[in-house]
Amino acid sequence: MTTDKDLQPQELPSARKLAQASGIALLVATGVLVTVVLPAEYGVDPLGTGATLGLVALSTASAPEAVEAPAGVALVPVQDGAVSHYPAAFNFDSRQFVLGPYEFVEYKYHLQRGASMFFSWTTSSDVVHDFHGDPDGAQSGSSQSFDKQPRRRADGGFTAPFSGIHGWFWENPGGETITVKVTTAGFYTAAHEFRYDGTRQPRQIRALDTLAVSDNEKESAQ
Amino acid sequence: MIRPIMTFVATTVLVLSAAELIAHDEFRIIGTVTKRQETAINVKTKEGKTISIALNKQTLISRDKKKVNSTELKTGHYVVVDALGDSEADLLALEVRLVPPPGAAAAPK
Repeated sequence: MTTDKDLQPQELPSARKLAQASGIALLVATGVLVTVVLPAEYGVDPLGTGATLGLVALSTASAPEAVEAPAGVALVPVQDGAVSHYPAAFNFDSRQFVLGPYEFVEYKYHLQRGASMFFSWTTSSDVVHDFHGDPDGAQSGSSQSFDKQPRRRADGGFTAPFSGIHGWFWENPGGETITVKVTTAGFYTAAHEFRYDGTRQPRQIRALDTLAVSDNEKESAQ
Repeated sequence: MIRPIMTFVATTVLVLSAAELIAHDEFRIIGTVTKRQETAINVKTKEGKTISIALNKQTLISRDKKKVNSTELKTGHYVVVDALGDSEADLLALEVRLVPPPGAAAAPK
């Protein structure tokens, strides 16, 4: 049965109560943002909750260029006068990328600070390129550019100014398919390919002992 | 009691949504515009997939590295879309470039 009391409008909360509730909501939301969203999405973990809850790994998985430092021997150079000594042999790699109209690819190696590599790359046509690096653990947008002068080829040497992934962005600016070929050798420990469609893949690099050794006796007999 | 709870929920959603807006991966979608709406376009890629991409007031429409009016983006144009999203099913365009289709010489007028 409906009574007069049921039909009376409920008393509205005072402005003070509304402000109080909003303040509490804001505090809680900020708490969730700092403890959950920032660690999970950006790897920003000021309170350590992301590491405790395993959320920081999620940010690494979703950031397009964030790559964890590879496990195994870190190829850190030790300078001895003009010579740099490393704890293991250098690696090498050779790749070819076919880029359809307006497609791009990024190809990067993990190098420790001070580690070196040599490279040569060529393209079959004009290409937009950027040789750059991203420090370990850095977020998207923190990359440092080393060379983006217009060119169709580059041959050079590189010493990493910081530990992280270093390599090239190549973009096909035109409507025809182009090819990019790159060959490198250096004290890197991993390679990663990032495609325009958001896919990313680790790539196999080759150890020095897989390189065929020239046979002096055969060569002399020829 | 209902009102404070609603305020709490609304504020929480607002703050978390704001964080979500900037927490996305980058995608490039290349293909032909098959549908043009005020707040979204459909693009058919060379693989035959049709992808819907949201547009907003901040979306830059350009041709030959120059900004053009959004009305110049029409069905049938070949475009390169740089977008942010969690997946191809949830994209917001940052820039839509009007480019010549593969094999053609100049951008569409």
